[in-house]
Amino acid sequence: MYQDNYEDLEFGGDVELVANSYANANIADGELDEEELIMQAQAGVQSIPEQVRNFLGHLHRNLVNCNVNDLAYNYENQFVRLTEKFYAKGPWPEPQYVAALVGDDGLFLTLYRELYYRHIYSRLHPSMETRFRSFENYCDLFNYILNSDGPIELELPNQWLWDIVDEFIYQFQSFCTHRSRVGKRTPEDIELLKDNSQVWNTYSVLNVLYSLIQKSNISKQLEAGQQGGDVIEAAGEFGVRPLYKMLGYFSIVGLVRVHCMLGDYTLALQTMENIELGNSRALFTRVTACHVTVYYYVGFSYLMMGRYADAIQSFAHILTFVSRTKQYHQRSYQFDAVNKKAEQMYALLAIAVSLSPVRVDENIHSYLREKYGDQQHKMQRGGDEAVDIISELYLFACPKFIMPNPPNYADLEAASKAVEPQSFQLKIFLREARLQLVVPTLRSFLRLYTTMDLDRLSSFLDMKPAELRNQLMVYKQRCRQLKWIGGPSLLSGEVTSTTDLDFALQEDMIFIAESRVGRRYADWFIRNTNKVQDLINNQENRQKITIANAGKPKSEETIAAAAAAAVEA
Amino acid sequence: MASFTRPSTRPDDIHTLLTGVERYNPQKASVLEDYLARQCANPDPSTNHDLMANLALLKMYQFNPDLVDLDVIRRILAKALISQSQSDFNLCLYLLSDEICSDASISKLLILRDYLEGAQFGKFWSEMYGGDDDDEDMSVVDGIAGFDNGLRKLIIGEITSTYQTVPAKAVETMVNLDEEAVLRLCKEQEWPVDNGIISLPLKGENEARATVIKESVKFEQLTKILSAANDI
Repeated sequence: MYQDNYEDLEFGGDVELVANSYANANIADGELDEEELIMQAQAGVQSIPEQVRNFLGHLHRNLVNCNVNDLAYNYENQFVRLTEKFYAKGPWPEPQYVAALVGDDGLFLTLYRELYYRHIYSRLHPSMETRFRSFENYCDLFNYILNSDGPIELELPNQWLWDIVDEFIYQFQSFCTHRSRVGKRTPEDIELLKDNSQVWNTYSVLNVLYSLIQKSNISKQLEAGQQGGDVIEAAGEFGVRPLYKMLGYFSIVGLVRVHCMLGDYTLALQTMENIELGNSRALFTRVTACHVTVYYYVGFSYLMMGRYADAIQSFAHILTFVSRTKQYHQRSYQFDAVNKKAEQMYALLAIAVSLSPVRVDENIHSYLREKYGDQQHKMQRGGDEAVDIISELYLFACPKFIMPNPPNYADLEAASKAVEPQSFQLKIFLREARLQLVVPTLRSFLRLYTTMDLDRLSSFLDMKPAELRNQLMVYKQRCRQLKWIGGPSLLSGEVTSTTDLDFALQEDMIFIAESRVGRRYADWFIRNTNKVQDLINNQENRQKITIANAGKPKSEETIAAAAAAAVEA
Repeated sequence: MASFTRPSTRPDDIHTLLTGVERYNPQKASVLEDYLARQCANPDPSTNHDLMANLALLKMYQFNPDLVDLDVIRRILAKALISQSQSDFNLCLYLLSDEICSDASISKLLILRDYLEGAQFGKFWSEMYGGDDDDEDMSVVDGIAGFDNGLRKLIIGEITSTYQTVPAKAVETMVNLDEEAVLRLCKEQEWPVDNGIISLPLKGENEARATVIKESVKFEQLTKILSAANDI
């Protein structure tokens, strides 16, 4: 087993040698402060704790040997543990010192730098220079992957690949937000930004994602997979390699996220084409963070489109998954991130369920009531208070939106006053939500009656009959939503009624009809039939084993083993 | 409600543009603008709106602020206003900015949208045509063939899914037509009018029938049982 094998001492010797040769190389350059340089390099390498040095050595070796399983362990466990131990408050060792440890292996250093910058982003405050350098590093990495003559010889664990794509987009978003807050930037920073408009440019980010998708033929692969075609043939030279295939796949999910950040929800859902939601074996399920991300953005897009039923279904699905598997990923380094996303989704779900009342899974329902019961009650009552609550939950739970272009540096004053995309998206959403609030309010009154005079209801609601008449029409209109009914395109769907409470008007008389959910017999029968079948199968297997073993000399042990096997089967 | 599927009037070159990376090429903006002009000239409400193409154009504007043409945005929004799918208008708005929305004719469209979605049809019509200087008001939906008819179709759709019987007078205000025109409309649609009350046909939405939702068993749920049956 692994067990801290990075502490093996033998490896330490190699490191010294490499460090010396690196220092010698500097001498050969013959610069003035030779000694100082050597000292510096040596000090730099020496300052790296031995555990870390050994870890980097192992990481390098596993990378060169394409040892994916070990890499996954290095990446998901050791890296996290060492970060906690040595680098909780400072950056990982400078890449230039690490270079000496790995014989200047360019590819390794690019990957290391990605980790190095990512750690700075997550724990410290990245300076403008770090942001620029990190971008350059991503360019190096993706250029190498995309522009080599043939597929490159590299394999990385899925988790790592996902994190690369995810972090790339996070840093892009972080840069855009940083850039647009001109009021907080120094004049030097602004000069720097002005001169380097190509850095973290929206087109270049999209270009990377689209190129990865194209290179891997992932869309064709998915289509072939769904329609029963030849996936290998569709994949082509690059796409058959796990590295390209997974990078392409994760780029699709990344693209969904970028489209959402730009407010293009239709394009986000269109991008998901051929990624089968609800399929428990789909590729996105291999990395929990990716799984959660997919549903978060799909659900959010539906919410923004006013397709509440679909939004509720997406959120409820993934939240059930998260709560069921909590115990398994408790120790995962992504546990906190997944939990935070889940909390955000509960908030969005609370909005959606309040605006379009519907029954959700029992566990989810009770969690919602415990956490957001008060807010849900207020939202359903309508009015300004409801709008305030929606805004509050929304701002807590929405993704970070970005402006695709740099601000107008020529007019900084105006640029600093520009409405942030966050509040703009909220404003548009509230226009829609305000109308939708009619549904829960009216519903709570209508459900008490079967027939009702319009004038009487209006006096209960304390509004004019003419206004109520309008609201009834709004209710009707709002309860008809497009709902996804399966198929490759998430945008498609059928117009369905999303309410259990319908009505019709005969002039001024309201006739109300409530739909109820009947008892579920079939499900019960199916489950119990399966249970009986399993029981019969077990008995039969046991019998077969007994018959097979008759005549043979048998020990107590073999019988016990056979019985255990039968039970397991 | 078919805003996301390809309309029969979308030519192949536009379709290729929309489904590839060319949709980011700002030089193609004029192609989509021309296509919008063709949508605006077509009075047939069932084929004259291509939301996906118009969203792609708005995205080009989002990425290239120097290309922004407010009149094009106005027409896109006006088209979305009369779309059968209620989310179209918002989907367009999400791609705009506060600055664009504060433009006079765009903010006027926002007001119109609020009236329309709030089923305040009387206010809607008077906001559109009742202003003092008609010229300026007209311009908001100028150059869109069949705007009024598309709009009436939308409103009538809402009336027929809410009411079983409705006073003709109420319909007159809602669709902004005089008595005679409404009666003509009823005749066309074969809706009986009795004593100023129009009887609308029952079409599911306006029936309000109490139902018991029965569970539906999916085939996948039975696979295990069926495969066991096969073994016997």
